[in-house]
Amino acid sequence: MQDLGRAALALAFGLVVYAAVGGGLGAYTRRRRLVASARNALFASFGATAVAAIVLLNAFRIRDFSFAYVAEHSSKALPFPYVYTAFWGGQEGSLLLWLLVLTGVGSTAVAFNRRLTTEVLTWTVPVLGGVASFFALLLVFVASPFATQVAPADGAGLNPSLQNPYMMIHPPLLYLGYVGLTIPFAFAAGALLSGRFDERWIVATRRWTILAWTALGIGILLGAKWAYEEVGWGGYYAWDPVENAALMPWLAATAYLHSVMVQEKKNMLRVWNATLVTGAFCLSIFGTFLTRSGLINSIHSFAQSPIGAWFLGFIALVATFSTVLIIWRLPLLRARTKLESLASREAAFLYNNLLLVAFTLTVLWGVAFPLLSDAVRGEAVTVGPPYYDFFLKVFGLPLLLLMGIGPLVAWRRTSLGALGETVLGPAVAALAVGLILIALGAGSSTAGLLAYTFSAFALAAIVLEFARGTRARKALGASSWWSAFSGLVARNRRRYGGYVVHAAIVLLAIGVAGSSAYGATKIQRFRPGDSMNIRGYKLTYLNSVERHAANHDELRARIAVTENGKSIGTIMAGKNSYFAEQQTSNEVAIKHDWLRAQDLFVIGDEFKFGKGNTVKSVYLKVLVKPLVNLIWLGGFVFLLGSLITLWPDAREQRRLAARMEPGPVAVTP
Amino acid sequence: MRLVIALSVAAALAVFLLYTSFAGGATPSLKPSQLSGHRGKLSVSGYVLGPVAGDPHASGGLRFKLRDIDGPHQSVRVPVVFHGSEPDLFRAGRHVYVVGTYNGASLAATSITTKCPSKYAPAKS
Repeated sequence: MQDLGRAALALAFGLVVYAAVGGGLGAYTRRRRLVASARNALFASFGATAVAAIVLLNAFRIRDFSFAYVAEHSSKALPFPYVYTAFWGGQEGSLLLWLLVLTGVGSTAVAFNRRLTTEVLTWTVPVLGGVASFFALLLVFVASPFATQVAPADGAGLNPSLQNPYMMIHPPLLYLGYVGLTIPFAFAAGALLSGRFDERWIVATRRWTILAWTALGIGILLGAKWAYEEVGWGGYYAWDPVENAALMPWLAATAYLHSVMVQEKKNMLRVWNATLVTGAFCLSIFGTFLTRSGLINSIHSFAQSPIGAWFLGFIALVATFSTVLIIWRLPLLRARTKLESLASREAAFLYNNLLLVAFTLTVLWGVAFPLLSDAVRGEAVTVGPPYYDFFLKVFGLPLLLLMGIGPLVAWRRTSLGALGETVLGPAVAALAVGLILIALGAGSSTAGLLAYTFSAFALAAIVLEFARGTRARKALGASSWWSAFSGLVARNRRRYGGYVVHAAIVLLAIGVAGSSAYGATKIQRFRPGDSMNIRGYKLTYLNSVERHAANHDELRARIAVTENGKSIGTIMAGKNSYFAEQQTSNEVAIKHDWLRAQDLFVIGDEFKFGKGNTVKSVYLKVLVKPLVNLIWLGGFVFLLGSLITLWPDAREQRRLAARMEPGPVAVTP
Repeated sequence: MRLVIALSVAAALAVFLLYTSFAGGATPSLKPSQLSGHRGKLSVSGYVLGPVAGDPHASGGLRFKLRDIDGPHQSVRVPVVFHGSEPDLFRAGRHVYVVGTYNGASLAATSITTKCPSKYAPAKS
């Protein structure tokens, strides 16, 4: 079966190289049949890659340990779903997943946009083929998942931390995000190469960009939730280079999604958008380079193989190609309109972009700092969470404020008087919230207080926008308030879906501020009957229990919890010992308080054994995380907003089709 | 407008440089074999050598040694003493990221993070 997998990958490699070279030649010489065959080669490469993926999945299913990759990442005792998710448990499988998603998403995007962007598409296919060629090359010549060996009696197993439902979804979503960013990049490059840099490529890729951005955002949040529940250290984001590798392209894509609206509406920021879309794509590759090269110290452990050098070469190639392309097409990209006022919607988008790009560069600087300091001073120096936390406040707080102001400002220009009148309501609401919070004692953290106050401002502005729109539709004759509201959202999905996403970011900001600035932590040794008081909770250690599962042993401390004297149940925190992997993992206990969005988080830190190997005492680490559940709630709201924005809109399609129709040729007298 | 953009980005970059250079938030990130000649707060990435002895909650702390994860200097061993919560998946043979204070002979660790095993694979030659 390994031969079939290898053959399928070799075929996929040949097809994507043909899509790149043949497609490029066809586009340059305007030979339609060559262009069409290159497009078909791209479609066929998805089929060939899918065959390779099925071969590998089947090897996992039957635990064929003659596949070295299967033996390294699974075992006989590995439970059902994880035997399949082990597919992306290592480097080679991850690369195969990347190629599979890339050829699949790329083919679909090309197929869906055949009519809209014929000229652009001619050049998009070779660009997509070029990117896919890189990954296929790695899979065929550098990191094949089909290496063979004499089958051992059992496999090494999948790391216990990856045996978690979140890890079944988190990696594919990140890959969908990374790969999805190839689509706008390929269409932008296609537009530049073809010389058709009007808004067609933006229209063609808008939904793909939002899809990639949503997948990346949800992927990051699921990774955070996994870290929170599974890694058992009480946090959800550690500013590690691997985490930042996903955050950077997401921030760049967020900036692009905003600035592209200015290009659509005002035909401005064309160079900026071309640069941003290239930057977002390069950042998605750069993160992979950083983690695979082994050059950066990370809390993530990766195979240190020569694959990093390949990624570095590819980034250099993409960056050079894109820079040359943008410079070559500068005359075409020059803006036809100018910014009329610094107090306008387009200016607000510009400020938003500056802050997002500055924050992206800050994170990039922090991630690359060890490399730079090593090169300059001969010593790798890392910047830790204080660096990132500082800049999160510097750029994040103004962004929160802008999220409230931006939607209230008119396009072209707004007088300061009108602006003041518009923001008065949200500003009063924010001030009231700030004063109430100070009275309640939230002034202990200035950054936390500012985050809450600015969040209140942004949320009030969003509510105001919805209220104004609904009222206007009711005045225009909607039969009820509900039909006015639903009609408003349905007719302006992009705008109001965007506001829902803003609300999600506000929830996220409140959750991060609450859980990081106002939390509490205690560590204590417990013997049976001992208690601890923390923030109104009383925890009493009852005893420890053991359980034998299929591939691990469980040891748990049973803890009775009361809140303000009232019993709220018993929780179990402890450890699992996995046989095949010979590793122990923390299994935390979390008691959610949905009403206050707060968690009581208990880590079974260390068990002390007495006579007869019975547990004598246990060290428990107890954390109270205020408002942390707003982060996860924000994830659902984020998804809802994205879905509203992504949902097909027949009216919009008709509008766009009318705009894209070639108009009558202007005749100069 | 382009000038504004360029100046803003440049100014932001300058702030990053200044902050990271002077704010003191940065710590040297070293391998065990590079510790010689260093003192004070630093971070070390290494491979945990057994036996892992002691108790992280007792006065003597948790004790083990670190060596380079890879490279030619794997014979250099650095003693580590740690007080606090033992991290998830910690044991001899794991790769860890340790932050602490080095006195020239041993490392007093204030935090240990077992490297996240996502996509973990043994180093390949």
